[in-house]
Amino acid sequence: MNLDLLVAALSAAKDVRAWSLGAAERRRLSLGVKDRQAGGPHAPIDLAESCAARYLLVWADGKVSKGSWERRQIEREAPAAIAAARLHAFDDPDAAQVAQPGPVPDVVLFDPRAAAVASGDTTLLAERLAQIRTRVAEAGFATWSGAFSSTLTEARVVNSAGVDVRERATAAGWHVSFEGELSDGHSGRGPEEDAAFSARLERAAALVRQLSGPAASAPAGEVPVLLHPNVVEEYVLSTLFDNLDGAAVAHGESAFRAEQFGAPSAVLREDMELAVDPLQPLRAGSYRVSGEGVAARPAAFLSRGRLVSPVLDLKYARRLKLPPSPIPYAMDTVRFGGPRAAGLPEALDGSALFVLHVLGVHTQDAVSGDFSLSAPQSLRVDAGEARGRVRATISGNLFRILRREDTLFVAFEGETTPGLLVRCHVA
Amino acid sequence: MIEDLTALGDLPQTLVRRARSAGVYLVWRAQTRAVRRVLVRERRVEETSASSVSGVGLQVFTEDGATALASRDDLLPDATLPLLDGAVRAAHGGRALGVHRAALPDLPPTRAEVVPEECRHFDALSLREAGERLVELEEEWARRSPGPSLRLAYGTDLDAWRVGRSDGTDVLYAMPRCVLRGAATTPSAGARHTVATAISSPHPRLLWDPERTALFLRRAEAAARLCLQLPDAPTHPPGSFPLVIDYALAKGLAHEAFGHASEADAFRSSILAKDGRFRVGDEVGPAHVSIVDETLPGDHAWQPFSPNGLPRRRTTIVSRGRLHEALSDPWSAAESGVAVTGAERAESYRHAPVPRMSNIRIEVEGALPAPGTFEDYGPEQVRELLAHAGVFRRHPRVVYLSGYSGGQVNTASGDFVFNCKALYTLSLDGIALYRPAIFSGSMFGALQSIREAFGPLLLDALGTCGKWGQSVPSSGGSHWFLVLDPHPAVRIGGSA
Repeated sequence: MNLDLLVAALSAAKDVRAWSLGAAERRRLSLGVKDRQAGGPHAPIDLAESCAARYLLVWADGKVSKGSWERRQIEREAPAAIAAARLHAFDDPDAAQVAQPGPVPDVVLFDPRAAAVASGDTTLLAERLAQIRTRVAEAGFATWSGAFSSTLTEARVVNSAGVDVRERATAAGWHVSFEGELSDGHSGRGPEEDAAFSARLERAAALVRQLSGPAASAPAGEVPVLLHPNVVEEYVLSTLFDNLDGAAVAHGESAFRAEQFGAPSAVLREDMELAVDPLQPLRAGSYRVSGEGVAARPAAFLSRGRLVSPVLDLKYARRLKLPPSPIPYAMDTVRFGGPRAAGLPEALDGSALFVLHVLGVHTQDAVSGDFSLSAPQSLRVDAGEARGRVRATISGNLFRILRREDTLFVAFEGETTPGLLVRCHVA
Repeated sequence: MIEDLTALGDLPQTLVRRARSAGVYLVWRAQTRAVRRVLVRERRVEETSASSVSGVGLQVFTEDGATALASRDDLLPDATLPLLDGAVRAAHGGRALGVHRAALPDLPPTRAEVVPEECRHFDALSLREAGERLVELEEEWARRSPGPSLRLAYGTDLDAWRVGRSDGTDVLYAMPRCVLRGAATTPSAGARHTVATAISSPHPRLLWDPERTALFLRRAEAAARLCLQLPDAPTHPPGSFPLVIDYALAKGLAHEAFGHASEADAFRSSILAKDGRFRVGDEVGPAHVSIVDETLPGDHAWQPFSPNGLPRRRTTIVSRGRLHEALSDPWSAAESGVAVTGAERAESYRHAPVPRMSNIRIEVEGALPAPGTFEDYGPEQVRELLAHAGVFRRHPRVVYLSGYSGGQVNTASGDFVFNCKALYTLSLDGIALYRPAIFSGSMFGALQSIREAFGPLLLDALGTCGKWGQSVPSSGGSHWFLVLDPHPAVRIGGSA
């Protein structure tokens, strides 16, 4: 990636007062599997090369322009791209700023195995595919689908204030679903270790085997419901982060009001924590500087049930008069929990509905916290034993659940996010 | 922008020759896309952004049916020719991964160019003027609907493709899309609700179109009114009930419940197929109900050709209650024994095309008339419509689901779910508002329970369809209102 022409053009532009670029050049290899067929016409081996830069320009008159430039604009058409950006400049005093240079943490973001795959070496991919095919045959599954990908990224964040951070990073991910029922997988900066990969595969296969057993009657009314970590990430955390979004808070479009941040009263139960640590090595959500050039750091969004900070970029940090926050780019750097926690056997000691997957998350109103979700992949558990599959609907209000005394965090093997044992309506 | 696609020179011919000498069949896809967006909140422009992408995707097929896709965000020959070599190596190298071999279909060569007139106006759009106009519209909305926090966004998207194949096919088409969206959020310190609305047009002057903006403001007023009412609304108990759904929810039902399951690339696991073959002729609904997917000029999801260069055909998925045609592409059609309908779509040149919907609708024979326009119908007017038609003699209490807010389906099991913006109970005794609840269950149960319809077809319900990691615009609808008899396999969600 060559930003020289663009940086030179920006530096020479007399009417540009300040500028910031977050650029990345990526090389990616991916492969899909649809109903046992790997690499067919709808999910082929896919080699992708891309280069793009997000920009913020602050003009001499204080207006700002934002957007993204593609490869040809970066490498060959920089003056024209800058002139075109001027045409959509607008007044936004809070956005008219760039990050100041400062210490940048060291974070491990590069895994040579992921880089090798992204560059075309499919040896590891072949091994993992073979392992899944063997597992499918042993389990007698009729079908499975999935996808694998590895990416090598050369990134650079540079601005007119002197920030200039270059990074070589990788990403690797996979997911698989058996019998069209249940999906699981992993994403990080490198491939999962063999043992972790095998264990995750086995856990997913075991759950699908339990789902394919005889049906059980659904419990009804307000009953204990154990949400699998995948459900917690997909619904609970995404709802919390929708409401923690700085823009939503600033514009009154969040369940949380600006004046509640830093206030002494709790919005959730008084032992609940929600934080992010982007400095952990090789996590999908780890980074050194944000796309705006703000250095990564661990931080809390909720502490002891109290709101600490929204998720804030530079613009909304200024708008809300708070420091910019780290960004939870992926859930594997997020810490959600509290002292009231249990292991899986303890959590399932009594009777519960174990919800493995929900349909309709994106249809819910995050602001109200009301939820009404179809949970066709659920297991009825009595005295720690799975008694059969249940097709249920769960409903309630997330915020009320997270204030209840009996809500419990549940540790799951191999997962960075806990499950949640809650009481909600089941029908 | 579109000119970049016509200025490729002899690159397409060079690519085809090079593919031939390498012994592979080539489908090449070049795309340019420009997306612009303005966001207004609290009477000021909060965000504008402009971005563009352009690039080429090369999908090669070896003689024994192995395939690979290589893409790069560049249209330069110097970068594209090595990309083809990489795709050829990857296709051959796939043997070590045990990749699937698909027979190469025999396709008729096509040469065509379809660029709607509206495309010419995109360059003239000023985001500054669009922002000023959005502020005017927000002021008008706030004047009509005081109270809620309002948000307006306007997006334009000019998406142009040129697609060719080794057989000489060379097709150029451009899809102009503009969407005006509004969202109203309860301002109270207690429970907050957000209700959204949208309209679309292929013309970037949408914001200055008096007829379209008047329609938007009517819908926006209803959204604002609803967001103020919802915090005080109770929750409705779960169960199976006689239902009325509006055309947007009917689009959701058609899209989630039947559309995805009729996409032929999923027939090895779809509930609408057996042993990989579409269950043509199976009865899945009453004889007065049909489901049709058809790309419509001027529509948000209009797409005249597929990214394999095939013209997209109207597809009658369910004809008078029986499965009839599938949404297919050349590869899935060959494997599942259905006709090629050119239904494949791709988010970008980086993606492999997969069969999917464009504008899908439920048609009911003998739909009853409904006077006026759809926007004239609040719950009171819907109740009058049902009363006049005698529905309350059959079902004294009917649950009316209004407005679509997304859905999801499992095509293997037939489980579907979608959500509404509001739920009302209607009876001769009165009307009660409840908070939204999901509508879920078995696709067969839902279709079987459609009893009657009111009003003409209205097909402008907007959506974004996500499948296999790709997002494309979707749309559809039905008659203004459909009445569904209660069915044990179709349920309204649960109470909070």
